[in-house]
Amino acid sequence: MSRRFWSNIAAVAWKETQVMRHDKAFIGVVLIQPVVMLVLFGFALSNKPANVPWAVLDWSQSPTSRRFVQEVMATGYFLPPRPVVGYAEGRKLLREEKALVFLAIPKSFRRDVERGRPAVQLLLDGSDPLSAARVGVYIGQVATAFETRAAPQDPPDSHMPVREPGPIETRQRFWFNPTLQDRAFFLAALGGMLLTNLCLSAMSLGLVGERETGTYEQMLALPTTAIEIVLGKLVPYVGVAYALMLMATIAAGAVFGLWPHGSWLALLVVTLPFVLASLGIGVFVSALARTSAQAVFISVFFIMPSFVLSGVMYPYQFMPHGVREIGAAFPLRWYQIASRRIIERGAGMAEVVVPMLALTVLFAVVLAGVRWRMKPRLG
Amino acid sequence: MSWRRLRTLIRREVRATLRDPFTATILVVVPLGALLVFGFVLSTSVKHLSLAVLDANGTAASRRLVAELAATGTFDPRPVSTRAELQRALVSGRASVAIVVPPDFDRALRRGAAGGGRPPEIQVLYDGGEAVLAGNAEGFLRAQLAHTGATLATTDLSRRPVPGQAGVDVVTRALFNPTLDGTRFMVSGTFGFVLSFLTTLITAVSIVNERLAGTFEQLQVTPATSLEIFLGKILPLGAVFALDVLLMALVAGFALGVWPQGNLLFFLVVSTFYVLVSLALGLLFSATSSTAAEAVQKTVVFSIPLVQLSGFAFPIRNMPAFFRWLTELFPATHYIRLSRAIYLRAEGPTALLPEIGFLVLFGAVLIVLALRSLETRA
Amino acid sequence: MSDLSIEVMPGTIFAFLGANGSGKSTTIRMLIGLLRPSAGTVEVDGIDVIRRPRRVRDHIGYMGQKVSLYQGLTLRENVEFYAGLYGLAGAALAQRWGALCERFALGEAEAEKPEDLPAGIRQRAGLALATLHRPRVLFLDEPTAGVDVRSRGLFWELIQDEADAGVTVFVTTHFLEEVEYCDWAAFIDAGRLIANAEPEELRQRYSDGYRIEVGLPPAARDSAARALGGIAGEVAATSGGLAIRVPALDPPVLAALDRLVAAGARLDIQQPQMNDVFRRLLAASGAPA
Repeated sequence: MSRRFWSNIAAVAWKETQVMRHDKAFIGVVLIQPVVMLVLFGFALSNKPANVPWAVLDWSQSPTSRRFVQEVMATGYFLPPRPVVGYAEGRKLLREEKALVFLAIPKSFRRDVERGRPAVQLLLDGSDPLSAARVGVYIGQVATAFETRAAPQDPPDSHMPVREPGPIETRQRFWFNPTLQDRAFFLAALGGMLLTNLCLSAMSLGLVGERETGTYEQMLALPTTAIEIVLGKLVPYVGVAYALMLMATIAAGAVFGLWPHGSWLALLVVTLPFVLASLGIGVFVSALARTSAQAVFISVFFIMPSFVLSGVMYPYQFMPHGVREIGAAFPLRWYQIASRRIIERGAGMAEVVVPMLALTVLFAVVLAGVRWRMKPRLG
Repeated sequence: MSWRRLRTLIRREVRATLRDPFTATILVVVPLGALLVFGFVLSTSVKHLSLAVLDANGTAASRRLVAELAATGTFDPRPVSTRAELQRALVSGRASVAIVVPPDFDRALRRGAAGGGRPPEIQVLYDGGEAVLAGNAEGFLRAQLAHTGATLATTDLSRRPVPGQAGVDVVTRALFNPTLDGTRFMVSGTFGFVLSFLTTLITAVSIVNERLAGTFEQLQVTPATSLEIFLGKILPLGAVFALDVLLMALVAGFALGVWPQGNLLFFLVVSTFYVLVSLALGLLFSATSSTAAEAVQKTVVFSIPLVQLSGFAFPIRNMPAFFRWLTELFPATHYIRLSRAIYLRAEGPTALLPEIGFLVLFGAVLIVLALRSLETRA
Repeated sequence: MSDLSIEVMPGTIFAFLGANGSGKSTTIRMLIGLLRPSAGTVEVDGIDVIRRPRRVRDHIGYMGQKVSLYQGLTLRENVEFYAGLYGLAGAALAQRWGALCERFALGEAEAEKPEDLPAGIRQRAGLALATLHRPRVLFLDEPTAGVDVRSRGLFWELIQDEADAGVTVFVTTHFLEEVEYCDWAAFIDAGRLIANAEPEELRQRYSDGYRIEVGLPPAARDSAARALGGIAGEVAATSGGLAIRVPALDPPVLAALDRLVAAGARLDIQQPQMNDVFRRLLAASGAPA
């Protein structure tokens, strides 16, 4: 370590910051992407069904059956039902994607309700299984809760047995997210997504760009060591990353009311190994690419699987086993676990120790990879 | 238009593209990679969800309940002994779901079966933070508990008939995808994803590189017309991507077991047309970029939201009204609808006419705009 | 660009000179129909370029600043590509390219890719491609930029061959000395035309004239000085003889010099530098040098 280690790093860092300020593409990434993603995940995208079109074949045509339909409507997920007069019509609507579910209420429904064995048939459009399953569940919930005692309009009959609910009643409570909004799920991981994008594409692009314009070689000719150059480059990116993360967190809170329930400190601390690991991957990518277009290409096609396999869009717990483990190699997986824990579940430092360790290990691995790859170049 | 000139242009494009190892790799690896990632990763069958169990009853009946939950492989029960421990398990993420079996579980079960008194109440706690997870797990858990309860009730008592069902029984069946396997859904959407994103990207980069190298300008000085230049670029790339679609369809079939329910040829034709539309869009992006990296960035920033909003992974129906309207303007949305309709529901050309018509209309607009961008600038 | 009015005679080499950023490339692009001027007319080979840009393309050849060879294709494949666009193929192409190849000394480079060729050969290849289809007018935008001095000389030989064959050549360059190879020169500065004449005329008008060193034994100095006194502007004595300045090498001057040479004097004629000419031009036109 030369005596001028820190000042060299500072000099490189300062130059880097200046370059960043004038790089239009970089500014685009830093400013436009976050807004776009915020809008997408905060407003637009959701797995929670809404405006569900459905069809009803009501053969019973009784107050009881109408009550059932009303109770389904009362859940708020459904559009007004399309009445159909036969099975064929119902299936046709499903086939044409004009209905997601088709409810068939038998003629004997009212009697069945009184007698104690009511049943309805539900046909789902299985093309979109997630939506179909959820909607099926909602209707199932209505069905389970359906008051099967005699309705006031029906003539009183003292011989009717008192209906009871089933053997086991389940009462649910959703911790941390009482209305089960998908939004919180995504927004809590927004910072991680933005940072991955920044660290990967911006970093690799920056390095390759330098190589292309020749300033990289120029730097190597200066009395700075390779380590000083790399660290000097990393520093401003770390700064921007933190700024971005804070921006995303504050935006989620200010716009959507999703303020972190847990420790801000923990969030800030766990961000560091994540950013370092991601930047390291960016450096590695830059070593693989020969042109700047290639660099962006490669990083984009690393970011995509990163988003999918890490579990930010879709829970990793649902993935088949082999794939689940592969996702653990992505820094984003551990970061989203930590950030979700902190933001949604109010966790503190203690609860995110495991992700932090995992991220540190990943960073070490990436660093080793970078040094191995860059050796001939910097040596 | 001169066919000979067009042939010359196409021949050059093919030679140049195929000789670039990077592009060639991207053209094969990315579509297949996307297919496998999306296809394998996103299946809706729930397996081995960790379930924290606080058994305050501790009888054979309650142990039987837990065993039944584990039996199907859906849940991995982990016993906890205090509420605090249960809470910690949920917070730390060691458990995704938790149930509390009340102390009077077995007694209440017998009482309920005998026809009097309140049935036992199992408290179920979800990590609402994992909203997607919770939503799906809920259905499974309810079904399991209800099923288990019924079984318990009948085996515990000496062959007394089950006094009744919970509320209304719902007999459910799923059309078009009886096992509710998410693979088919994601695979059919992946075509839209890849064809929207990759095609635009590659075209934009290619054109920008040509502009930078000066070869584009040279081309404009030759007798080649804008239409010929446009087709000379689009047709070979289109052919390559059409092959890609075929490749993807084959891999999806052999590796993932997902074959189109409908007509494969029809699907290929529709996909090829959509490819041409996407390529035109890529041309437009390149017209506004001065470096290749900028073209890529633009494509990424624009294409990702477009694809997300196009119903590829998140249903359009669930979106607020503004986005639902907005997304109708994207050709991607219509293509994804088409590919799903053909892949999953075997729909034919006549039924899909409006979607096809829309795609043709928007495609034509984009192609005209792209052609104009190739003309000399004032 | 403003107020630009030029006329190029067939079969001549027209040099369009100016510093970087003065508008040379813009002009050439307007001439070949890549850019549309906001006002004015452009006529090339009798065709109105603004209204019918396409018509002109079969008659012109263009070599841009970036030599437009496709990377990833060999030179031969590039040739086949461009030839195909002009309708040149098969035996006709083979013959034409064979001849060009020989003249431009590109035989060894045929199978190479442009990125593997040195700049000098790339430029020659670019010129060959531009003339492939026997255009009547050639537009060359800074064709010798980035090429070493020796290759530049060779290059200009080739251009002059084309002009001799009747091709009209319009060349832009920022190497002022290249004016020597041309029949006409126009200077532009910041979008304005500040000169438009034969090189010789420009040298006469905007310079100190020719400086000639006459090597003489001291004895002959006086007589030579007297002989030259009437025609030369300045006559000065130097250690080796005389140094004179003449505005132009017109017949009286040449005759006097001939006589001196016949009497055994050695001459060292220094042409006015184009840099000089240009600077004076700029000064005269009121622009900062």
